[in-house]
Amino acid sequence: MKNQYLFGFAQVHEEFRIPELISIAELHNIALQIPKDADVSRPFMVLELESEYDALALARRCILIKWVCDFYGRGRTYEEVYQETRANVSKWEKYIENTSFRFIVTAYNHKIPQSRQTTIVESFSFMDLKGKIEMKNPDITLMCFEEYVDKHGTTRERHEGDGKFKEVFFGRLIAEGSARQLVKIFDVKKRTYFGNTSMEAEISLLMANQTLAAPGKLLYDPFLGTGSLAYTTAHFGAWVYGSDIDGRQMRGKQDMVPGVLRSAEQYGVSYRILDLFTFDVTQNPWRCGGLFDAIITDPPYGVRAGAKRLGRKKPLKKPQTTNERSIAQRPDDQPYIPPTKPYELSELATDLILLARYMLKPHGRLVFFLPTVTDEYEEVDVQTMLCEGMEVIANSLQDFGSWGRRLITIRKTTSQEYSRPNFAHGGHEQIDNYSGSGHIPAHKDFREKYFKGFRKDDTAEDASS
Amino acid sequence: MVRLISHNLLACHAKGCTSNNFPLQFKDVTVELREQESNPDFLKNIMPRLEWKALVGAARQLGDTSLPEEMPEMLDDEFLKNLHHVLFEIHVEEGAMVCPNCQHVYPILNGIPNMLLAEHEIS
Repeated sequence: MKNQYLFGFAQVHEEFRIPELISIAELHNIALQIPKDADVSRPFMVLELESEYDALALARRCILIKWVCDFYGRGRTYEEVYQETRANVSKWEKYIENTSFRFIVTAYNHKIPQSRQTTIVESFSFMDLKGKIEMKNPDITLMCFEEYVDKHGTTRERHEGDGKFKEVFFGRLIAEGSARQLVKIFDVKKRTYFGNTSMEAEISLLMANQTLAAPGKLLYDPFLGTGSLAYTTAHFGAWVYGSDIDGRQMRGKQDMVPGVLRSAEQYGVSYRILDLFTFDVTQNPWRCGGLFDAIITDPPYGVRAGAKRLGRKKPLKKPQTTNERSIAQRPDDQPYIPPTKPYELSELATDLILLARYMLKPHGRLVFFLPTVTDEYEEVDVQTMLCEGMEVIANSLQDFGSWGRRLITIRKTTSQEYSRPNFAHGGHEQIDNYSGSGHIPAHKDFREKYFKGFRKDDTAEDASS
Repeated sequence: MVRLISHNLLACHAKGCTSNNFPLQFKDVTVELREQESNPDFLKNIMPRLEWKALVGAARQLGDTSLPEEMPEMLDDEFLKNLHHVLFEIHVEEGAMVCPNCQHVYPILNGIPNMLLAEHEIS
């Protein structure tokens, strides 16, 4: 026997809303069915859940939930709402006697004049609530929401169009979304240590939710940078390893506690940052696979941060002698810095998925951003990055116009053990990788496309697809 | 950091280094002890992945003899307390880890090891 609950969402990052709900439902073993007509362009949704506990669990963890109500009625007119509310009397009859209450009438994309707010409240008198009206600490809060179409871009009178709402919703407030305040707490501008590639707080939190980060779990970010994704996942109780080919990004200034640890300390999670390492993830020192509950990362797209891996772009004219190779014999006493070469994005993405399959426990998740070129993107671009045993379960676009980035969530569906992948230079011929299909994804050579402003070349050369 | 739990998960993957590449040997280390509260859920998660002999050896190399040679049958409170201490509270802040096979030196600076491979060591 399921109950209906009315959710109010922040109207941002719309494509992330349903994946977040599904992830948190999975984390808490909540039975949740998303209605087929779910429309994320609207801020209200009625969802069926088994109990109020489930509604609360979602409201406590989902970043995009503003509040949740016990659902009483909805309609294109108030008459329809009254009718549904009357039919749902079993939900509220216990509040008729002895329950103090207050009534809030509000609108989305509109301001209802005070006089009509009062009229609306009075129109619910059929509920015959006998308790006192209490504005400060009522036993219950009844909420009525009118949803208006966005009149953005038009100049208008304050209350113009009043009463011409698309739909109205009514229910009893269960809880405000308490996770939303984390967005302010993790604001990058207030962080002890951050850089120009640090992931914004709201997205870091949404990513952490996609990983199902929770106490006792072990997570890994192989492109840690300034650590943004470590803080939010650790906040939800996970233990985190981070690595980066560039140690300076993790350290910040020398002769201080490493920057990532200082920021982690600010959030009270530094003891759950297990360790930080400088290494190239394609030449990684992990002793074995099957370690991580999730891998979360924002790989370098090659734009602000050069995406690189160990190796030489052009082979040396003459091979190095053993003497030249010896690290100990550097005359200037500087630390040896091995040569690096650019890491093309589509290769990085397929390698990351191959690596994740090896490093994740069965049913573990890989969560990462993939930049895409809006005009050229096709869903097959993502499918051809996969290898056997890895399945896409979410793909949410953050739209920047001519380009965007997609938060991809991949679940490792296999329990089979694979051998350590070898990211040999040049050859990307893993037998069970689907990129051999010949399809050229929109994100290939993303860096070059970005600096060309995503304009296609005038020459006859054209990317075949 | 470097914690011994992490040291237990690291091996040398220089080209050709496929045996006797674990565990890495500590060299010229500066160690700090930092208390932190115990975490039974996480300990339960990670225990199946530990290489016990390597963990005991590393702890002894750093002067801690609280762990038995073999993992005991009964995991009593005393044992779990010692295990927690060894895994999480011993931090190698400076020094190096050296591969017993190829002798590659991985320096540890300010608690972060540099595990980049040299040009001739990458596959």
